[in-house]
Amino acid sequence: MKRSFTTLTDATLITAVVQSGCGEVITDALLEIGIQGSTIHAAMGVGIRERLGALGVAIDAEREVVSVMVSSDEVDRIFERIFLAAKLDVPGNGFMYATPLLQAATYVPPSILSKYAGQ
Amino acid sequence: MAKRHAIRFGDYIQAMVVDTQQVPFEELMPEPLFDRHGNEHPQPVPKLKLGGGDVVKVLQPYLSTRFIDQARAVVPLAIYLALFQYIVLQTPVMDASIVAGGLLAVMVGLMMFMEGLKLGLMPFGEVIGNTLPRKLPLVGVLFIAFLLGIGVTFAEPAIGALQVAGSIVDPVEAPYLYTLLNDRGGATVLVVGLGVGLAAVLGTVRFLRGWSLKPLIFMTVTPTLALSVIAWKWDPIGLSSIVGLAWDAGAVTTGPVTVPLVLALGVGVASAAGKGADSSLSGFGIVTLASVFPILGVLCLSFYTALTVSPETIIAAAAEVKLAAAMAASQPQWYEVTPWAEVILGVRAIVPLVIFLMIVLFVVLREKMKSAFITYYGIIMAVVGMCIFNVGLTYGLAKLGDQSGGLIAGAFASIDAISASPLYSFSVGVATAGLFAWVLGLGATLAEPALNALGMTVQNLTNGAFKKSMLMGAVAFGVATGLMLGVLKLIFDFHIMYILIPGYTLGLILTLLSTEEFVNVGWDSAGVTTGPVTVPLVLAMGLGFGNAMGSTDGFGILATASICPIVAVLTLGLYVQFKVKREERRIAKEFALEGEIV
Repeated sequence: MKRSFTTLTDATLITAVVQSGCGEVITDALLEIGIQGSTIHAAMGVGIRERLGALGVAIDAEREVVSVMVSSDEVDRIFERIFLAAKLDVPGNGFMYATPLLQAATYVPPSILSKYAGQ
Repeated sequence: MAKRHAIRFGDYIQAMVVDTQQVPFEELMPEPLFDRHGNEHPQPVPKLKLGGGDVVKVLQPYLSTRFIDQARAVVPLAIYLALFQYIVLQTPVMDASIVAGGLLAVMVGLMMFMEGLKLGLMPFGEVIGNTLPRKLPLVGVLFIAFLLGIGVTFAEPAIGALQVAGSIVDPVEAPYLYTLLNDRGGATVLVVGLGVGLAAVLGTVRFLRGWSLKPLIFMTVTPTLALSVIAWKWDPIGLSSIVGLAWDAGAVTTGPVTVPLVLALGVGVASAAGKGADSSLSGFGIVTLASVFPILGVLCLSFYTALTVSPETIIAAAAEVKLAAAMAASQPQWYEVTPWAEVILGVRAIVPLVIFLMIVLFVVLREKMKSAFITYYGIIMAVVGMCIFNVGLTYGLAKLGDQSGGLIAGAFASIDAISASPLYSFSVGVATAGLFAWVLGLGATLAEPALNALGMTVQNLTNGAFKKSMLMGAVAFGVATGLMLGVLKLIFDFHIMYILIPGYTLGLILTLLSTEEFVNVGWDSAGVTTGPVTVPLVLAMGLGFGNAMGSTDGFGILATASICPIVAVLTLGLYVQFKVKREERRIAKEFALEGEIV
């Protein structure tokens, strides 16, 4: 069988580094609006405890890194949603960023493939 | 012509949702400092200054998640007990405000203690576990593991429950039980600690050599059972009442301090020897050994006591102590008054362990502690938490358990506390008591966070054949049945060995038939269920119940609650094994058929 593959364009990667246990809050908030395919990695963070002094004990050094690929048109909306869900306006809760992706690829449903077949 | 306003749709969306503004990231970065040669100066991390609102925002989730974790274990149990008393036994909770305060202290204390354990003690365990095997020969490592086993036993929050329980025992009825819990209480805990230490050594060696757990179980459980039979049947020494305590001691040891610290050391040793990764089972087994050896230790100690001290001396000494206590009651020493007594207990439990860990780390290993501030904060939290927990133990858990245990007898027998007792006919009353214990066991076990973790491990280990919910169900069912058996034992006043002998015999037979994985999981599941909330509550309930029934020996309920889950998990394991094999055979057959057709 001849195999073909399609690259996806206009994709942006949103990455959020949050306190351990908060990763699932984000993925749940994303699933609610139909965004799937998030990844959670375990990580260790360094620095915020030192900056906060005595209050640093309240901050978990264990971190979770959530990364999710979204369409570039939707970035602002989803970026905001993650920010609010993870309560990143609280000191020590974490940070997030969006990076443009050159290209991406995954399984594309045939119904969509056929739409672009001629191009 | 109408005037038309044009607004960019994007602006509209922005205005509707959240205020956004842009700040260059540079603002967050510190200004680099250069000396005159153009080299960058090192500079201290700038401290972040937070306003009051932000401090609340940071602390609130930190405190609430940790408090809710503990409340989840305590509150449902307390509500269940109180409702049961109120509805079925028709008696309101006595001293309700004191009990509620005590339970609050238990939750706050446990919250602080667990946080302290995580921040203060676990880092020690990890650093020692990782570096010790590289710097010391195996004998030295094992010796330190042994000492650590003793230290963690004293630091175990549930161990205090034994001492609290000891004050309820009547010295005339069960002299040896009394002396082991009161004037020889320290020796008992030490023996339990020795057992845990020995288990830590043996468990570590097992990691290294890759021994099977099965022979170890046979070699330890069989003599323990034999000694128990001797203590039970050999009348002249009068140790029959000690058996329940001995088997309960095994269940008490495997709590939130012992398991992670001893495991950290064992896993460290195994990975230093390059054997950590190949066996996912390496974490198991220590818990089992750590619950069998203390039983053996307590039995040996009781034999020694029985052979050297006569019951009469104990009774006389107990009377003397009581007299002295009565004299002192008018003017108690400051260290015997409530908060101080518990504070001393708490400090005595944690500080020696911390000092020991520090000596190992700083003197033997010459390592430095990273982030010392956090560690010291953790240690202080652990000590303070332990003290608060001890206060709560006396006024909350022990009081509530004692009360419900004493009152439940009123369901089928005549007791003083309930004027209308017996409330129900004998058979209905006994059934009520049994059912009460069963539901209590089921609820308390399913709420135990450690069980959830074990369930996940097992599910991964068996590639999903043994589901998490199945394991949790089996363990909870086992504990529930065990508690019920324990209560029935007290009602009909038969000896604990009538449950332990058939139970452990069945357990040993199932062990022979099962594969190594299920043996490891099954025997460990017994230790997992006995957390710092369940143990004191069940102990106090058993003793209160025993006292109300006029039986001398309220111990043994924890012991029956330990063997039943072992049997339940092993049986389920055999069933799963059988099912997997049948499935494999079916698939093999299908393939064979397909082959024929093609």
